[in-house]
Amino acid sequence: MIWALLGPELLLAIFALAVILLDLAVKQKGVLAVFSIVGLLGSIGASLALWGTNGIALNNMLVIDKYALFFDVLFAAAAILVILASTDYVEKLKGFQGEYYALILLATTGMMFMASTRELVSIYISLELTSISLYILAGFLKDAKSTEAGLKYLLLGSVSSAVLVYGMALVFGTTGGTHLGVIWNAVKGLNGIADNPTLIMGIVFLVAGFGFKIATVPFQMWVPDVYEGAPTPVTAYLSVASKAAGFAVILRVFFEAFGRAPWLSQSWGMLFAILAAITMTVGNVVAINQTNIKRLLAYSSIAHAGYIMMGLAAVGLMESQLALARSGILFYLAGYGLTNLGAFIAIIAISNNTGSDLIDDYKGMVRRAPVLSLGLAFTLISLTGLPPTAGFVAKIYLFNAALQSGLLWLVIVGVLNSVISAYYYLRVVKTMYLGEPASTERLSSSGPLRVALTASCFGVLFLGVLPNTVIQVTEAIKFLVS
Amino acid sequence: MVGLQHYIILSAVLFCIGLYGALAKRNAVIILMSIEIMLNAANVALVAFSRYVTPQLLTGQIFAVFVMTVAAAEVAVGLAIIIALYRQKEKVDVGEVDLMKW
Amino acid sequence: MSFLADYGYIGLFFVVSVVFALTTVLIPQILTALGVIPSKPSPAKSATYECGMDTIGKSWVQFNFRYYFLALLFLVFDIETVFLYPWAVAFNKLGLFGFVEMVIFVGILVVAYLYAWKKKAFEWK
Repeated sequence: MIWALLGPELLLAIFALAVILLDLAVKQKGVLAVFSIVGLLGSIGASLALWGTNGIALNNMLVIDKYALFFDVLFAAAAILVILASTDYVEKLKGFQGEYYALILLATTGMMFMASTRELVSIYISLELTSISLYILAGFLKDAKSTEAGLKYLLLGSVSSAVLVYGMALVFGTTGGTHLGVIWNAVKGLNGIADNPTLIMGIVFLVAGFGFKIATVPFQMWVPDVYEGAPTPVTAYLSVASKAAGFAVILRVFFEAFGRAPWLSQSWGMLFAILAAITMTVGNVVAINQTNIKRLLAYSSIAHAGYIMMGLAAVGLMESQLALARSGILFYLAGYGLTNLGAFIAIIAISNNTGSDLIDDYKGMVRRAPVLSLGLAFTLISLTGLPPTAGFVAKIYLFNAALQSGLLWLVIVGVLNSVISAYYYLRVVKTMYLGEPASTERLSSSGPLRVALTASCFGVLFLGVLPNTVIQVTEAIKFLVS
Repeated sequence: MVGLQHYIILSAVLFCIGLYGALAKRNAVIILMSIEIMLNAANVALVAFSRYVTPQLLTGQIFAVFVMTVAAAEVAVGLAIIIALYRQKEKVDVGEVDLMKW
Repeated sequence: MSFLADYGYIGLFFVVSVVFALTTVLIPQILTALGVIPSKPSPAKSATYECGMDTIGKSWVQFNFRYYFLALLFLVFDIETVFLYPWAVAFNKLGLFGFVEMVIFVGILVVAYLYAWKKKAFEWK
């Protein structure tokens, strides 16, 4: 019984180990990519088969509800697109393809556990499984920039996870449990911020530790460097899946353990609201001056973390808005994920040919690669939040949730920020369409990469034109609360 | 009587030492050591809370065991990356790691 | 008072250790001064090590990085055994499910071991 409930995660873990063993046996490394994709598809299949079941497993540590399964599908789909987009990239990996695919699968496994766990110990373990895999992936290329990215990510990530563990220790000490339900039972009996300084300190440490994963200000300093130095497919994966996993964990922990006591949830709701305003402003303002497209998207991903945090603030400030705000966050994560993956896939193809990530080298790209340019332009428009794209619907939907919670000021900040962001996103589009190309040589890209780009662009378009189909799904998603 | 607060003060002091080292030192190996100190500070707190707050349960102690294992994995990966860095630069000073703005 | 009593044991250990160290150093001195044992200093007696080879050069040298390699592998596999102890202690209570879980755990380690073996991480190239 338990094995079936853990299907999506177990399948991926088994495939990850099998990829390592297969890598030792086969000479033809292309098999490994196919094998990994089969595993990910199997995992998606298992998640869909479990859709609608509400189960608990492993001594109540894991909970299999629609919320967890939604994220399982999201992570696995992102991993598939990343592996497809890596086909042009693997020749740079010099005989380490097996490790590359295995680490992506392991990171995905960790994220899936993050979305379904409700116990501090297993949250920590799954978070570290994800993080350690991603540290290695960030430093995978072994050139100077990539090593630097790996080292920075590892050092700052380890500091933040140490802070997180300390926060967990403090929460455990004040509530006497590591299970979110036990913590909530203890929190229920408490009252007042001033009377519980240790608990508050623990919660602040938790915000700091998780804030690093989702890249909120002031824990965002690693993002530009790591995004620039890491291999581009890994950057795409980091910016989408790792961030989504962070939000998955934060929403569950903060709602289930600290969300139903107004004296506490008002405070962290306001904390997230303020952090959201600062994060989106810093991300957008600093992005204006960037000359490297990967750094530009790094700051843009910080800004988007700010937008998504509006949903967290909405949950904290008004518990009755949980359903709407949660649905907004889920839809935004799906839309943003597809969009950002599409943008990075186009960038992988372009910079693989030109060998440069500078925006200046994108001049007149439309004449050298019309399809890639169209894909990049379309995803950038979605990131700005203009119709008919996923970004537009997601923003309206999430801003509405924040409005319902009485966060008018935050929505105004968000709209102003969207206007700022239009400037730098559309500048890239303008460079591609109106600039003079440095050469007229056509760019080449591999078949799987084109499939991935097409899939993500159509996904963005679909979410933008027919959002109701997906919103119906996200609105039906509930936590299984103990 | 040595009570809970003594252990918590010890762990807080250790945590601050580790945090200071992680933020102020330039040598990557020393930063890794400081991170270990921070994790061990958390371990002290976990074990002390486990003993004084929930003496009938072992949750905190088991948590500490997991933290130790994860810390070992982190250090293994960290040293591997530092070796890769050393092969390129012959130095392990994070001040030298400045291709991109730190 | 009980606070002091707790530290009393530590204080006792401290006193005993200081006294023990001082006596072992002082007894030969006193016996030499009293003429009970003869004093015949020689270079061999004042060497750092009484047996084994004389050290050559400074010890503050760079080690071959393969030591790190082996040390890392040792560290990772060594720390995993930490989970075997609590499992072994509670083996009778955990029953079959615990056994299966531990087999899976060790199986994962075996995969890691096979990987390291096949990648020639254990060989001194």
